Amino acid sequence: MEQAKQKETSSFQKWFRSRKGQQALVLIVFMSIPLLLLFIFTYLPFGEMVKFSFYNMKYVGARKFVGLKNYQDVFTRKDCFGALKLSLYYMVGSVVQLLLALYLATVLSFHVKGEGAFKAVMFFPYLISGIAIGFIFKFFYTHGYVWDTALTWFGFKLDQLPYWLKDQKINNISLVATSVWRYTGQNMVLFIGAIMSVDQELYEAAALDGANRWQQFKHIIMPSIKTIITLNVILSITGSLSAFEPPYVITDGANGTGTYFVIMNRIAHTSQKVGLASAMAVVLLAIIFLVTIAQKVFFKYFFRSADDEDPRAGERREKQIEKYRAKHAARNGEAHNG
Amino acid sequence: MKMKKLLAVALTSAMTVSLMACGSGSTDTSSASASSAAPAAAATSAAAAATSAAAAATSAAAAATSAAADSGTLSYNSIELGTTGTDLTASIKLLTHHTDMLKDDYTGTSWSSYLAEFNKMYPNITVDIEGITDYANDSLLRLQGGKWGDIMMIPAVDKADLATYFIPYGTVDDINSTVNYAVQWNYDGQCYGIPSTANAQGIVYNKAVFTKAGITELPTTPDDFIADLQKIKDNTDATPLYTNYAAGWTMGAWDAYISGTATGDPDYMNNKLLHTTDPFRDYGDNTHPYAVYKILYDAVSKGLIEDDYTTTDWEGCKGMINNGKIGCMVLGSWAFTQMQGAGDHPDDIGYMPFPITSGSKMTATAGPDYSFGIAADTTDDNKLASMIFVKWMTEKSGFSYNEGGLPIAADDTKMPALYDSFKDVTLVVDNPAQSGEEDLLNKLNSDSELNVNNGGNDKIQKIVEHAANGDESFDDIMAEWNTKWDDAQSTEGVTAAE
Repeated sequence: MEQAKQKETSSFQKWFRSRKGQQALVLIVFMSIPLLLLFIFTYLPFGEMVKFSFYNMKYVGARKFVGLKNYQDVFTRKDCFGALKLSLYYMVGSVVQLLLALYLATVLSFHVKGEGAFKAVMFFPYLISGIAIGFIFKFFYTHGYVWDTALTWFGFKLDQLPYWLKDQKINNISLVATSVWRYTGQNMVLFIGAIMSVDQELYEAAALDGANRWQQFKHIIMPSIKTIITLNVILSITGSLSAFEPPYVITDGANGTGTYFVIMNRIAHTSQKVGLASAMAVVLLAIIFLVTIAQKVFFKYFFRSADDEDPRAGERREKQIEKYRAKHAARNGEAHNG
Repeated sequence: MKMKKLLAVALTSAMTVSLMACGSGSTDTSSASASSAAPAAAATSAAAAATSAAAAATSAAAAATSAAADSGTLSYNSIELGTTGTDLTASIKLLTHHTDMLKDDYTGTSWSSYLAEFNKMYPNITVDIEGITDYANDSLLRLQGGKWGDIMMIPAVDKADLATYFIPYGTVDDINSTVNYAVQWNYDGQCYGIPSTANAQGIVYNKAVFTKAGITELPTTPDDFIADLQKIKDNTDATPLYTNYAAGWTMGAWDAYISGTATGDPDYMNNKLLHTTDPFRDYGDNTHPYAVYKILYDAVSKGLIEDDYTTTDWEGCKGMINNGKIGCMVLGSWAFTQMQGAGDHPDDIGYMPFPITSGSKMTATAGPDYSFGIAADTTDDNKLASMIFVKWMTEKSGFSYNEGGLPIAADDTKMPALYDSFKDVTLVVDNPAQSGEEDLLNKLNSDSELNVNNGGNDKIQKIVEHAANGDESFDDIMAEWNTKWDDAQSTEGVTAAE
């Protein structure tokens, strides 16, 4: 009976049995679940949020369609868009963090003593939860506590030291420092991973040609790890636009440390202006998109490889050679005359 | 070969099906268990109906509920503890903000001992208690999700939505005859929330520090209070007023003093405030909200608070006030027991009225804490069981007294010791809003973003910042708030007068 059934083959069954059909089956079966999860937990809520941003609504209760008013508010309110200025602190911090990480990674990749221990020590902060870090630094910065005590060892007097979180001129810098402390190690490990993949023979060859460490870094390491640098820069910049944990845990966003996310959280949860908060989120997404694209373009120009060299570079090089020759000829002439 | 192929296909399909089932698994199993349990449940409810029919002479309402036709007839007042529903078998779930009471090392009476006591009277009603740490936010989400349980401490919902989520205990008039402070969750003449406990608002202070500073009488006006704080600063090492700025919500506590305490008017909070233009203006007589916030501003600008307010530590402050390192803190009476338990000097902790006198006598706002609400989407048996439990908590458990609260049951007169200095103080309970305006305060709060009495911590933190940095005068801050409030009033189309 079964055998008989299997023999009646329609064209679909034939296709289904073929290699292609089987491939398609496997493809669909394996893709459907992750795609479904992605849709349900990412795109569907996002779509809802975009919808919310056009309404005047609370979490519970009736909604009223208000068109673009929420977006207008985001751009006109001092506390919404103004909060993005604080991101500048975090961006500067992320540049410092990347440079530091890159430096440490390069040093550690040249086989120093105690390499493993250094890596572990510097990676450690990343393993602590953000909330715990918040509490650590709240006590760390308390007047007369850890940080001030450490500074007094170096001869500072306690009454000359500022209040690290109370003084509105420096409290954002204090908060940024905690995030630099936390993420430098993680960036460093990523960089080290990328640097490891560079062919060791290139260093040897470069050394034979008389290149020093800086030249090796500039001409071998940097171009080889450009992808990971780009990635880290993009992650850091998006991270600084959406900084949340340090201000939320350490200062509760008070005293002029309320970043865009903290303000958004306050508007959404305390004032229950869900529509406005959704609009803020959409605006932030748009800004992150723009910044990412701008970075892509910038890096494309900055890290061009030998293959897709800027055509003008060739001309410039020719010109330089001309200039050098001319100078050389002139000097030779002078020598002859003299 | 063929067998192998078949096996492979069978395995793959089994995996896919099981994975798909994961999504709908919960509903499947619940419906399965429901159907299997249905005959049993029907049997028990039939039995319950029979028995309560027998008891119908004493309790007509209970019989009506077991008849299960209309849940609207279930009422709080008709429940007689120990008589109604003693044959009822039910399992109910309570969501609570009191996570500390779930722990065995809780210094007061823990949930487990309340439940043990309750089950002596009602052995067949099982109460399952779930603690939620970030209660104010998470409970709202749970409420929206539905199927959260049977009893919950009602979170900040709009009153118009009360009937969607909760069942009424009875009419407001009926409930007020048996329950105190049931003023918060009334809508359309129906009462949806029975308070778990109630508090009068005052200031937690350290008696030893006050004595040492040379303060013989508790202050009754803002000026006296500031002078007393100055005395503490001059004569002791203690921080006169600890703001708890960094914790945030502790600053929001200041809003609790602007109504009955600062005006003596039970209609201020839910009626007058909504219809007053510029409510934060200076009334010139050290009363009204202006006077409350001015105390904070003055204390900060005169350096009478902690040195580095941005790094205050909530858990740490309890031990500090207990050991005489803090003079006073502006917190609700719930904080009193915690401060007592935090060190070796529980007897030094006192609770005093907020230093504003608006009439001939001092007044203090008294009002309900979180209230019990019973789910509208649960079974009728569970509704009855839940209401029995709520009534038991109110009348028999002693919960409110144990937690240092004012008596909830109307015939209860036991006042906890912490209100000793409130003997000459009139307690003012905020009247509910007029019908049709139940949600107006919420709306104005949301529109103005001042969030008065509703987590508006940041506006009060800003008072501290501006006072400490000296970059904005107090009158300017109040003018700003007035503008926001007036704008919100015009957005909502409220008629307001001076």
